[in-house]
Amino acid sequence: MAILEVKDLKKSFDNQEILKGISFEMEKGQTLSILGSSGSGKTTLLRCLNFLETPDAGTISVNGNLLFDGAVGHEKGVDLREKRLHFGMVFQQFNLFPQYTALENVTLAPKLEANGKSDEEIIELGKELLVKMGLEDRMNNYPHQLSGGQQQRVAIARALALKPDILCFDEPTSALDPELTGEVLKVIKELADQHTTMIIVTHEIGFARDVSDEIIFMDNGVIADKGTPSQLIDNPSNERTRQFLANYLK
Amino acid sequence: MFANVTLSLLEGFLGTLKLFILTLLLSLPLGLLISFGSMNKNPIVRLPIRFIIWVVRGTPLMLQLLIIFYGPGIFFGMNFWGSGDTGRFTAALVAFVINYACYFSEIFRGGIQSIPKGQYEAAAVLGLTKGQTFFKIVLLQVVKRIVPPISNEVITLVKDTSLARVIAFYEIIWEGERFIKSAGIIWPLFYTGAFYLVFSGVLTLLFGYIEKKLDYFK
Repeated sequence: MAILEVKDLKKSFDNQEILKGISFEMEKGQTLSILGSSGSGKTTLLRCLNFLETPDAGTISVNGNLLFDGAVGHEKGVDLREKRLHFGMVFQQFNLFPQYTALENVTLAPKLEANGKSDEEIIELGKELLVKMGLEDRMNNYPHQLSGGQQQRVAIARALALKPDILCFDEPTSALDPELTGEVLKVIKELADQHTTMIIVTHEIGFARDVSDEIIFMDNGVIADKGTPSQLIDNPSNERTRQFLANYLK
Repeated sequence: MFANVTLSLLEGFLGTLKLFILTLLLSLPLGLLISFGSMNKNPIVRLPIRFIIWVVRGTPLMLQLLIIFYGPGIFFGMNFWGSGDTGRFTAALVAFVINYACYFSEIFRGGIQSIPKGQYEAAAVLGLTKGQTFFKIVLLQVVKRIVPPISNEVITLVKDTSLARVIAFYEIIWEGERFIKSAGIIWPLFYTGAFYLVFSGVLTLLFGYIEKKLDYFK
């Protein structure tokens, strides 16, 4: 069964249709990248999955459970929060909490949600995740003492700490200096190798090719093209995909 | 003589201090509530509150003191505040709390609205409730941002307490002025300035300390 199934998702802002009916599914343990030019709707799609935006129509199911049905609309409060936890989110601007250390950023939400775990267990898990991100000597630093790449790796650990079914990345390296993108892409690649289920919105085409099991190319609010990296990037058949890639490789 | 005057002025300063402390204790939380109201999405809540803030910030505090103290008697023919010093103090306190709560609410609103949207979104995707988001994520960042403007208002409040004299509230300037009539000397009145100066000096140090304490994050 598909871990994620999205059907005919639609979203408009101010009468402008940004998502014009998006349908796709993905399997557990896969990495799906979403490419597309600015304004194609790829970030909006990701935000709809996290319910940062409420879709106007369509359905979202995780593990066969219907999380959202546009015909019914959204309940608020507890249900919405539980549904969100199926998805982790890593933002372009990191959005770490400045008053907490790297470790505290990672452990804050798990401590609040607890689920019967002791604080010690949660802290251990947090440390483990930060070590995995290569930040063993940065755990007690505050965000402003970290480089952008380090901050983004803390943000990844923070998202992983809640053990989401699907980890979403919204252009995770776009706010980074070129020399810092590598360290972030490296940890994402490691996660992919460990079969973390991920959706990555990115402009890094070379990276998407290396890391993805499947790539979606979005254009003007629809999925214009879809396939494995070798189909979509190395041998694009779709005219729009070819144009897009040509612009990027220029 | 000097020691006597100092003692008398200290007694007057107790009145100043009482009004100052109670005003702060009540107007800070009330200001936070008002700031939530002034940011409410519903215009039925938001607009009346914005209107009240406009009136309170747009008229002199001295006038507000007079209206609040004498108003109930003049318009409704009732002695709302009770008699004597307690009545005057209560009326003065109510006027100060309303006035300062409105100023504080605008500082809170500015502070809260200056928190980047990304902080709320990060909290939301981590499954935090609205209350957790406010108290665990937003509040301290707001506090850090508003310490300088709050310290400004607090120091203004120290001096504004002298306005309560218009409804014959007993405080330090009142005490200083008394010496003009009773002993024919004016320097005690001038001397009151030293009390204000020392007290606002202490507050400046205190706020400087708080600012430094919050310096560990950016």
